[in-house]
Amino acid sequence: MEPKIPAFGRFAEPALLILVSLSDGPKHGYAIMQDVESGSGRPMGAGTLYAALARLEEEGLIEPLAPVDRRRPYRLTALGATNLAEQLRGLSRFAHKGLRQLGERQP
Amino acid sequence: MTRLLIRLYPERWRARYGAEFEALLEERPIGPFDVADILLGALDAQLHLRGRSGERAYARSFVMTLRIGGFAAILGGPLFAGGFAVASDTVASGSQSAGAAMVGVGSLALLTALVGLSAFQARVYPALSWAAFAIPALGALGMAVGAVGTMLGTDALIGIFFGGLMAFFLGSVLFAVATFASKVLSRPGALLVAVGPVLGIAAGGSNDVLTITSLACFALGWLALGVHAVRTDRGLPVSQPI
Repeated sequence: MEPKIPAFGRFAEPALLILVSLSDGPKHGYAIMQDVESGSGRPMGAGTLYAALARLEEEGLIEPLAPVDRRRPYRLTALGATNLAEQLRGLSRFAHKGLRQLGERQP
Repeated sequence: MTRLLIRLYPERWRARYGAEFEALLEERPIGPFDVADILLGALDAQLHLRGRSGERAYARSFVMTLRIGGFAAILGGPLFAGGFAVASDTVASGSQSAGAAMVGVGSLALLTALVGLSAFQARVYPALSWAAFAIPALGALGMAVGAVGTMLGTDALIGIFFGGLMAFFLGSVLFAVATFASKVLSRPGALLVAVGPVLGIAAGGSNDVLTITSLACFALGWLALGVHAVRTDRGLPVSQPI
């Protein structure tokens, strides 16, 4: 059975970007912001980051680790990794379909 | 600036994320985009207190209602009483239009408070709780009709305005009785809200000291109820995650 992807509304894209950022290891908020901004080329505000983090944590897709000073790292859970893989496969299928259709129409 | 922005988030959100959020904001300069993003994030957190179970979701929506009702009471009580004092020239520097505006805003806030703070009482005294809202709601309508009529030069409608005002005080007294009898929120606050209008009627418009005392009781009573409601939120256990 395919894992259910929670509906995050307008935080769906930030949530996906955060999951991708955490896929190579735990990070705290500031490191996630820097990673997302360098990867996507778009800024992610602190308000958006924490709104998405709260939702991801609530759904059990990420979990907090012990804080270092006041900075708390987060890591992907097994459920989060499965969920991320499913989302990326869906995006990949969508991208391939789009590229195929574009290729068929090209002269 | 950073702390002020964090204060916009709900108490329980700050208890869970406040320290790390503050550390994050201190790590880089905050620009207008960040401020706007944090304002939207705070609004989202205020409106979207999420829970895993239905019971917790209910508890959170209940807390939100209490909080809104509490702030409305804190705002509405003093505005309503102060507006009445100004409009009726009980205070020397009164201006009728300014006083009427204060009463108007105050009555809307108090209607919100009557809804937000009536959850406990409605379980025990549903009819009283409904009456405590319906009578002031009709009173507010009467005050609006009377105020508009007076502005248009129809002085005969001033009676409707004062009738509405009395209805508003009566509804507040009913709410106070339900609150006091239910033993919820601040009982001294409920007592003050009930005593205020009674003293006002006793003053009969001819005793300024008694009138001011009655208005002060009314305003202080609503303030006490509002503060109690807002503080109730802080007594709830911090849940993780929010």
